[in-house]
Amino acid sequence: MAELRGSHGKARHHLLTQHFGAAGLATLKGYQKLGGYDTLEKALAMEPKALVDEVKASGLRGRGGAGFATGVKWGFMPPPDGGPRYVVVNADESEPGTSKDRYIIENSPHMVLEGILIAAFAVQSHQAWIYIRGEYDRPYRMLMDAIGELREAKILGPKPFGKDYPLDIQMYRGHGAYICGEETALLESLEGKRAQPRSRPPYPAVKGAWARPTLLNNIETLATVPWIIKHGAAEYTKFGTEKNRGTRLLSVSGNVRKPGVYEIEIGVPFTHVIMELAGGPFEGRQIKAFWPGGSSAKVLPASRMDVTTDAEALAAADSMAGSGGCMVADNSACMVETTYRLLKFYAYESCGKCTPCRVGGNWAVRTVAKILAGEGSRLDLQILDKIQAGLQDGRCLCGLGDSAGWVVQSAMNHFPEEFEEHAVRHTCSVKRERAAASA
Amino acid sequence: MPALDIAQEQEGYLTPEAMTEVAHALNLDPGYVEGVATFYSLFHLEPVGKHRMYICTNLACMLRGAYDILAHANHAIGVAETGEVSSDELFSTEEVECLGACEYAPMMRLDHAYHYDLTPEKIDALVAERRQGKRTKHRG
Repeated sequence: MAELRGSHGKARHHLLTQHFGAAGLATLKGYQKLGGYDTLEKALAMEPKALVDEVKASGLRGRGGAGFATGVKWGFMPPPDGGPRYVVVNADESEPGTSKDRYIIENSPHMVLEGILIAAFAVQSHQAWIYIRGEYDRPYRMLMDAIGELREAKILGPKPFGKDYPLDIQMYRGHGAYICGEETALLESLEGKRAQPRSRPPYPAVKGAWARPTLLNNIETLATVPWIIKHGAAEYTKFGTEKNRGTRLLSVSGNVRKPGVYEIEIGVPFTHVIMELAGGPFEGRQIKAFWPGGSSAKVLPASRMDVTTDAEALAAADSMAGSGGCMVADNSACMVETTYRLLKFYAYESCGKCTPCRVGGNWAVRTVAKILAGEGSRLDLQILDKIQAGLQDGRCLCGLGDSAGWVVQSAMNHFPEEFEEHAVRHTCSVKRERAAASA
Repeated sequence: MPALDIAQEQEGYLTPEAMTEVAHALNLDPGYVEGVATFYSLFHLEPVGKHRMYICTNLACMLRGAYDILAHANHAIGVAETGEVSSDELFSTEEVECLGACEYAPMMRLDHAYHYDLTPEKIDALVAERRQGKRTKHRG
């Protein structure tokens, strides 16, 4: 295994990563030695509603990107009607800059499974599905092995811990489509179709997988559940900010000395994350910009590293907490080039179902390509501005279109002079500096 | 999709015949099956090299030199453009979106495994190892 880059234990706020790196943690035996599955046993003895209430009281919010209150989402599940109902776990982690779910699975697959099983019992489901992106070979194998161990130990099966409550987990592999991170697109894919988002309502809680009530949660969200049930919501709320409780994992990447997946107490500033945890910029370079929550979060200039990591502060800074993928660019990065690369991503990954995203994404790519090639004009900047506006504010079926719009809007907003010089004067000062530095 | 996986294992890519066969086996319309196959990037409709390098060039990797790595990989396997299959049919490259291992950028997926902190030397070593036939099992 590659060297572990990120949090593993030590600090008081390392709730999830507390045991990461411990020998044998990925095996059932190793996990149980550290108290693993005691919490599931405890949960199975509780009332399902009490579990939902506990998670509600903890203030835990989804870690996939939208940040919706987890307990509230659990509470949306209608009462059991005797038919099947599912827990579907989103392990499609594809948001550029985000690797924390992979980090969690590779370190502690059983922690993920325990969280899934507690959630399944809480919402009165007997069947969970893990939808994992197809490129995650190792995490897939590790989860499969862990599920195999659980079946053998009869923790999965008709009577987990002697309780007459059958539980099972199945895995399903994605095949390379970013859009599957969107929950209704994921359900379409799980059913074997092209992953195109559904219109909502009905929400998955009412009509989800195979038109049955379905709870969808992210890996990190569910991995947090065992800690909350074990220690209680009151303990969890001691961490974080008033509206954004707990800790979360940030994957920090890009032009920093120590990229890694760091568990932080929500509310610490990005200066701490980027300059301390991730070691700051390389010798002779300066941080220029950062995307605080995956590529879909609006880029912020380095002067805003004082912003704290809670959703409210990031929203106030006109960005978002998103998936916790913090990408950092230094002064060797040209913001028109980074915009171009991200736009290419959104255009390529557009599922093609709704028009603004299908057409707008590619149009934006062509326009920025023209500007980058030194063939642009002020008119192209105006066109680009029109396109980004046309992608936003509910014009698209899902968030992918908005995200593409945000990429352009935020880059043009914070770095107007770079777009100006490319489009109007047909030069790139970053490229000039780079050439001068290497000469 | 698992059925298409099995079909793809045979030739390394999905031929129209394979997709039709899957459609018949599952009682689906062949056009529907093709529609699903074209949607996902891990299904290949054209021949690919036995060892396919899925090189991430998305932002986190790009900031750490992924495009130089891609260019070097193409050079190392002797192709002019990304996506071409090398003359010995052993290799091809593909520029892919974020593979979720950003703390190890630049990185790629090759033979069902991730390879981290890529350098031109590492690429050369991986290619040489496969040319010598030490790793012939995988196709992916």
